[in-house]
Amino acid sequence: MSSKKELFKYIFSRLTLLPIMLWIISSLVFILLRIAPGDPVDAILGTRATEIARENLRIKLGLDKPLINQYIEYLNQLIHGNLGISLNTEEPVKIIISKALPASLELAIFSIIIASLVGYLIGFLGAIKPEGKIDFWGRIFGIGTYALPPFWAAMLIQIIFAVLLGWLPIGGRLPPGAIPPPSITGFLILDSILDKNIEIIFSSIKHLILPSFTLGILLSGIFSRSLRLNLEEVLKKDYIEAAKSRGINDSRILVKHALPNTLLPILTITGLTVSSLIGGALLIEITFSWPGIALGLQEAINQRDYPVVQGIVVIISSLVVMISLGIDIAIAYIDPRVSY
Amino acid sequence: MLKLNYIKNILKVSGILLILLQLSCVKYKKRENIVVASAGKIESLDPAQANTIRTLQILSALGDTLYKIDKEGNLSPSLAKDLPKVSNNGLSIDIRLKENITFHDGSIFNAEAMAFSLNRFREIGTLNYLLNEKVEDIEVKDEFTIRIKLKKPSSSLKSLLTSVNLTPVSPNSYSNYKGSFNNKNFIGTGPYFLESFNPSQQVIKPFKNYWGEKPLNKGIDFINYSNSSTLFGAIKTKEVDVLISNSIDDMQRLTLNNMVNKDQLKSGEGDPIEIGYITFKSNKPPLKNKSIRQALSYTIDRELMSQQVSFGTREPLRSIVPPQLHKKEFSPWPKYNPDIARSLLKKEGYCEKDILSIPLTFRSNVPADKLLALTWKDQIKRDLSDCIEISINGIESTTVYKQLSEGAFDAVILDWTGAYPDPEAYLTPLLSCSEIKNNSCLKGESVYSGSFWGDNKVQELLEKSEELEGENRLKNLIQVEQLAAQGSAYLPIWLVNPKAWSLTDISQPEFSRDGLIILKNLKRD
Repeated sequence: MSSKKELFKYIFSRLTLLPIMLWIISSLVFILLRIAPGDPVDAILGTRATEIARENLRIKLGLDKPLINQYIEYLNQLIHGNLGISLNTEEPVKIIISKALPASLELAIFSIIIASLVGYLIGFLGAIKPEGKIDFWGRIFGIGTYALPPFWAAMLIQIIFAVLLGWLPIGGRLPPGAIPPPSITGFLILDSILDKNIEIIFSSIKHLILPSFTLGILLSGIFSRSLRLNLEEVLKKDYIEAAKSRGINDSRILVKHALPNTLLPILTITGLTVSSLIGGALLIEITFSWPGIALGLQEAINQRDYPVVQGIVVIISSLVVMISLGIDIAIAYIDPRVSY
Repeated sequence: MLKLNYIKNILKVSGILLILLQLSCVKYKKRENIVVASAGKIESLDPAQANTIRTLQILSALGDTLYKIDKEGNLSPSLAKDLPKVSNNGLSIDIRLKENITFHDGSIFNAEAMAFSLNRFREIGTLNYLLNEKVEDIEVKDEFTIRIKLKKPSSSLKSLLTSVNLTPVSPNSYSNYKGSFNNKNFIGTGPYFLESFNPSQQVIKPFKNYWGEKPLNKGIDFINYSNSSTLFGAIKTKEVDVLISNSIDDMQRLTLNNMVNKDQLKSGEGDPIEIGYITFKSNKPPLKNKSIRQALSYTIDRELMSQQVSFGTREPLRSIVPPQLHKKEFSPWPKYNPDIARSLLKKEGYCEKDILSIPLTFRSNVPADKLLALTWKDQIKRDLSDCIEISINGIESTTVYKQLSEGAFDAVILDWTGAYPDPEAYLTPLLSCSEIKNNSCLKGESVYSGSFWGDNKVQELLEKSEELEGENRLKNLIQVEQLAAQGSAYLPIWLVNPKAWSLTDISQPEFSRDGLIILKNLKRD
């Protein structure tokens, strides 16, 4: 009872810290964007516009107001859940994010599934037979995929599987000319299933394979290494030896005694990878023209579209904080030794 | 053993899944629409907001302009009935419009609609200064005639009227967008209407009631990819039918050109409209010294740059106006000659004891700029290491544009595309200056271009050219360019031709004089 109380207290304190963290992050982004040279007026009008034209646009975009007024207005809007309107397209930032975020989440989820399947399988097989052939090649695979530059690997995979072999599409989420299903969830595969559109279901899966496979393989190295090292360590523990001496068979020891004790670090790594993928798969999104949130953020930074940059950063930060909180709760729930 | 079976089963299931996916749509179906691909998203379809080639490209198919530039480089009427009539004092232009033209929403195109569109552009257009600097007022003279009142005589205005930014929009459909942009829709008079729009894909279909020649295809799907490799791969795998050259890396251009030579693709090329050049800041030492700038203009081996950076696909250039706009070969900047450069620098005290140090800035997100900077640096090291030393520095383009007018760069690599096909659209933005002191520009376009170079004679000739027509005007503008070459505040490097590649079952892409593909002429063979 008291540990549950402790846990709730911890969750409450973390949730209370969330707005403070978001305030610090959003303020930092607000300041850094304004310090960076170039403003939206330059990006929209170019350098040749007259000073009058520039000033008119500055007034229209509200950039003529003192910085402190802009900041207070921004915070006021943020508190009311209003992320503002894009300076470039005049579209609400909420809508821009709601279109791009599901694409990134879809990519992140499938990549994590691939990374987990490949990485944990290799790590597991390596750990149960240390110094064996699988372990040797698994270690090379782990270090190799970790060291590969993502853009290079992505381009190579794209050239081999899309250009040379022609097995899979080169980029985007759907083939040219395909009409997407009505957006219900924003997740293309899910929406096409709900729309019962078989052709789009297969097309969207085909378009997802290369980017998610690339990202998944690149991440699987970390997963295989972490599982292998943790499992190897656990297998040397006294209670495993004790179980062996009691005559319990190897697979039961592995599944019932060793694996559950490696879950905590694995869960933490997987969770943190998911959160970092939401905004961090930029190079993969660029290479495969995947219309996700990282690509949107990069374009918004280039155009100095302040509200879009601020909105995306706030949403990504919130998601990262929420996911890490979720992981902490899950760890506390799984492992009664964890105290707060 | 059991584990091995598991792995085998997993592999079997994966194999079946892959085969199913392959069967689902491995071969691209024979498409009805022609798929045209280019780089970057299209955020807005409002002509008042459009400022990228890809946006102008799609707008050129959805709308019409008052005039076009024909193959001979002359003004020819499009929505206008005949050539503009200029009053004797040059302060008023009457334009008669064609009748029986309808917008995509069925409303009539007339003088009211044209005046509405021009005034809307003057009001909210991001490039409205182009018009507002010249135009005093726009009036409806009668149902099919508009009158443009000018602040001062302007012969370049006629070329400006060919700009896609001034394509008319339907007042009926844009009544709620008088003071704001209509980003996701477009209602014009063009050969196509917009069927669907999102930033990465736009679909246009032939407009049945189009007044002019009908499109030869059943529609165009525009798709936008985020990088050159994907675009290149998309045409190689026949995922797209036509590829537009903007943002295609030079290496991939070369491969595409080789494919054309092997009859694996077709290609079309437009008149060059983009120039690449280096700007020298001429109001601070050491480049304040005209002789040093002149010496530098002898130091660049343009043929070598073109070969090293673009495998010869960028044409070396020794003028700041694309040659076809002068209607004759004209190259006032000197050819590469390191000996003359050395003797000029020696006169200024360099080469023997001192070495001239030039910090060269390039836009880090433009691959060709970086290659040019590196190649020029190495070429100088090879030919003039006793006289000049170049240090290079890459800065992201938005930052470069912002800091140009602040005088942050001694030498910077840039490019320029005129807003309309006329020499004035290149000369004024680089050379015009409204306040000059000791050959330094204090206020004007020259400040925004980062050169700060001012010359009273150039300014006088530029202003005079607005009152001249035809051959006299061109002669006058050639004189401007000669003076600019003597001033050496700019160093032209190369010309970039707009290019497009198409699959062999698609007709060869044709270009208009403003560097845009004529989409209605694309057809499946």
